[in-house]
Amino acid sequence: MTTLFVLSVDDFRPLAEVAGKDPDVTVRRRGPYLEVVAPGSIRIDRDAAGCRNAVWYSAVAAVKDGRVSRWDKSELVVEPTGAEG
Amino acid sequence: MPSPGQDLLAHTVRGVDHAAFPTFDPQATITFYRDVLGFPVVHATCALGWGPGDHPDFIHFFFDIGGGDRLAFFYYFGVEPYRDTGIPDLLHRARHLAIHVDTEEDLLEYRRRLDASDWPCELQVRHEAVESIYVTDPNGYLMEIARPLRAITAEDDIDANLSVDALMEVTAEPDPSLEKFFARKAKLISERYAGEPESVTFV
Repeated sequence: MTTLFVLSVDDFRPLAEVAGKDPDVTVRRRGPYLEVVAPGSIRIDRDAAGCRNAVWYSAVAAVKDGRVSRWDKSELVVEPTGAEG
Repeated sequence: MPSPGQDLLAHTVRGVDHAAFPTFDPQATITFYRDVLGFPVVHATCALGWGPGDHPDFIHFFFDIGGGDRLAFFYYFGVEPYRDTGIPDLLHRARHLAIHVDTEEDLLEYRRRLDASDWPCELQVRHEAVESIYVTDPNGYLMEIARPLRAITAEDDIDANLSVDALMEVTAEPDPSLEKFFARKAKLISERYAGEPESVTFV
């Protein structure tokens, strides 16, 4: 499962909230992080998340079984990969 | 989350006593820090014949930058001015001193002082956790003044420690990359917070 971790603080929580609007996406709390999980890609629209530049580009805490394939001024996309250690 | 080493080491340091830099232009340096920014001069050591043979005489002078911390300069008599002209912009921007202010009002006041001087503010930017103004001082040193945009929380500290642990691991291996870093950090998070996560709903 493609997994994106964002830190559960006010700045980054909107990313998980926006991602979670996709019915294929599950958001759970793991320690101080929000764990965003999907069977396929995770896509987050920047305007919907409402982040200013520096917050947007520091929002990814970690990625499991996926890779950031797009992270520009309009969208963050995490695509699935094979399991990775 | 402290590493095993940190558990054993008492943390008794108390901020910056002083950070020191060479200057070949004391007039501009004193004008900039004392008269433009308003940093009081709090100490000066006048050394005659104290330094090594090629620069025995020097003045070491200090500005108060708040909180008991000081910014200091060395001026060496009889030494030809030297400046790194070939320094890559990446290094110029990375090596800087950031001085803290508490409020936006204070930040804007320092910006006003700079903009009224020969060294106007070069950049004002809202970072993730601080808002900053930048200026290059008369010696070519990049200086930042920053105010907090939000409190740094326990969650931030945990995240920072997991980040540096992941960074240590991926930079010990060949070809470190941000992609490898994110994957390694995810593994550390999963190990530390193993078990069934709580579901989250946003309201």
